[in-house]
Amino acid sequence: MSNDVWVVVDLKLDGTIRKVTFEALTEAKKKLVDKLGGQLCAVLLGSGVSGLESELGKYGAQKVYVVDSELLKDFNTEGYVIALSELIKQNEPAVVLAGNTVFGQDYFPRVAARIGSGVAMDAIKIDLSGDNNLQIERYSHSSKAIQKQVFHGGTTMMATVRPNSFKAEEAPATPEVISGSVELNPGDIKVKVIELETKASDRPELTEADRVVSGGRGLASEENFKYIYELADILGAAAGATRAAVDAGYCPYDMQVGQTGKAVSPNLYIAIAISGSVQHFAGMGSSKVIVAINKDPEAPIFQKCDYGIVGDLFDILPPFTEKVKALVSEG
Amino acid sequence: MKILVIVSQTQDTEAKIQVSASGDSIDTGDMKWIMNPYDEFAVEEAIQTKEKHGGEVVIVAIGPGRVIDTIRQALAMGADSAVHINGEGFAETDSYAIGKLIAGEIKKLGEFDLIFTGMKIIDEESGQVGVQVAEELGIPHVSLVSKVVEINTDAKKAVCQKEIDGGHVVVEVPLPCLITCPDAMNEPRYASLPGIMKAKKKPLTEVGIDDINYDELGFGKDAVSKEGARVKTISIEVPQIERKLKIIKGDDEPMVKGEEVAKAAEELIKLLREDAKVI
Ligand SMILES: Cc1cc2nc3c(=O)[nH]c(=O)nc-3n(C[C@H](O)[C@H](O)[C@H](O)COP(=O)(O)OP(=O)(O)OC[C@H]3O[C@@H](n4cnc5c(N)ncnc54)[C@H](O)[C@@H]3O)c2cc1C
Ligand SMILES: Nc1ncnc2c1ncn2[C@@H]1O[C@H](COP(=O)(O)O)[C@@H](O)[C@H]1O
Repeated sequence: MSNDVWVVVDLKLDGTIRKVTFEALTEAKKKLVDKLGGQLCAVLLGSGVSGLESELGKYGAQKVYVVDSELLKDFNTEGYVIALSELIKQNEPAVVLAGNTVFGQDYFPRVAARIGSGVAMDAIKIDLSGDNNLQIERYSHSSKAIQKQVFHGGTTMMATVRPNSFKAEEAPATPEVISGSVELNPGDIKVKVIELETKASDRPELTEADRVVSGGRGLASEENFKYIYELADILGAAAGATRAAVDAGYCPYDMQVGQTGKAVSPNLYIAIAISGSVQHFAGMGSSKVIVAINKDPEAPIFQKCDYGIVGDLFDILPPFTEKVKALVSEG
Repeated sequence: MKILVIVSQTQDTEAKIQVSASGDSIDTGDMKWIMNPYDEFAVEEAIQTKEKHGGEVVIVAIGPGRVIDTIRQALAMGADSAVHINGEGFAETDSYAIGKLIAGEIKKLGEFDLIFTGMKIIDEESGQVGVQVAEELGIPHVSLVSKVVEINTDAKKAVCQKEIDGGHVVVEVPLPCLITCPDAMNEPRYASLPGIMKAKKKPLTEVGIDDINYDELGFGKDAVSKEGARVKTISIEVPQIERKLKIIKGDDEPMVKGEEVAKAAEELIKLLREDAKVI
């Protein structure tokens, strides 16, 4: 087993690298690589991905393993599983990290099972134990508890990390690029994508955003979600929602924040017409400042927020948004 | 069709939680136990699939004796039979071992077409067991399926929709396969009274922890313990976040109304600027 630490690159649909990859590289260097004495490596899997290596070098990657194949297009789970587990078997890194994205949750545990490794999902802290095994912290129990977990060691130790948990810092290096020798066959890919529909958005991604404005069932229509988008855009915030709002068809599923949806921990979370269920809090309860606007003074959210107004969103939001806008344009 | 559902029992979402004296687990003393909510969607999806295509639904569960209640609930909803890997101590091990044990029992059940399970268990929230079972069985999986669009029993394939960041994909997957279920993919039914009565007579196979052939599974029995686990929880903490609770209300009634609105908006902005310093 080597002492290297790997970070598998998380890509967006448009082929750019997600921030969580840079965060993981930075944190891995700080907490793991120096103590273990190995190299910090990135693993770049996908189709048409060559050329991104230098960007990984910017955040300290000393080596980049690349597997560039048509068969890895559209986040192909089986392709990723084969490519990553082969690379791990050949090189035996000490630790492998990836972002806890929708895709990371899909392929990463499968790789762990294939190579017989333990894996921890959604770490918010990473470190090494006294005997140099990976040690992480993560939320459990609907985010009401934080577990500290330690790896047994002896096999490669794997973990996904929650986006926005670490700060990305540049630490330029010129990475050695290694073309991964992995054989992928079309016959290995059983799950076929027959339709892929994407909608581009100019707003920041929920899991990466510093501010989030979310709407609940009380918005009452898709049309009314414009109030959420307007305030979000003025604040440079991401737009989120509760399951009730998504279920009712007011907004797309990828806006759902909570136990099933996205986990966010921005500096500012503004919850509009959201009651404050346990499942919603499981996804945003660790936000630094929580603001609620709700017409029901008994809504549970008023027991667990920092600031709030008891009032009708349709009364409060227009003047509030107007005033925020004035303030922002003043600078 | 033979459809399997992996279900688990979990601590109630609403429960107030407390760290046990040992400091590495949650006190389950008088905890209410429920079927893992995501598994309810899995059971419902399995039963709907059976109603449409015929066949049987088999429940597979692992855990101590109390898990029987959850198995009975699934049977009362309409599943046909169940296998219970019964033993204490599974809670101490890790998802890797749980996945191995479940897959080991599934291999003994003969051929099957589909496996449904929840996207994660809401206490540990490990989010890996389903996918790992699929790997152990050597079958493809599709995770976080928002909608099973079609199941074609002749062509032996399923078409599923899943939501991704910035859109959705529709995939076609050959059977047998494993599908993990998020919330809201269907409306789980309640167990009816006749359903509950019938459930008592449905076949339930118990597998003891000593009945398991560990050599066949390719890993030692010691892996099914806290010491042997590849990942173990060494401590658990309930973080206390103090919130400021500065709530602006109306003068006469709780709701801010009419002329108070502009002032309240102003006041909130002032708090965000000067007190919280976030805008
Ligand atoms: C397994 C499982 C997983 C789940 N996962 C998630 C998840 O990931 N995310 C999630 O959000 N939920 C999740 N839920 C659902 C969750 O339990 C709640 O049902 C949901 O969060 C409620 O959404 P809401 O607050 O928008 O709706 P409600 O609870 O209906 O609250 C609406 C609020 O809006 C207020 N309101 C109405 N009109 C106005 C108005 N004009 N002005 C001001 N206020 C108004 C009301 O007073 C009320 O408080 C999950 C549930 C289960 C069982
Ligand atoms: N201890 C367990 N016993 C039985 N089933 C489990 C257990 N843990 C997880 N599962 C099943 O695997 C799914 C995924 O859970 P997990 O990966 O543990 O979050 C759950 O919905 C359960 O059906």
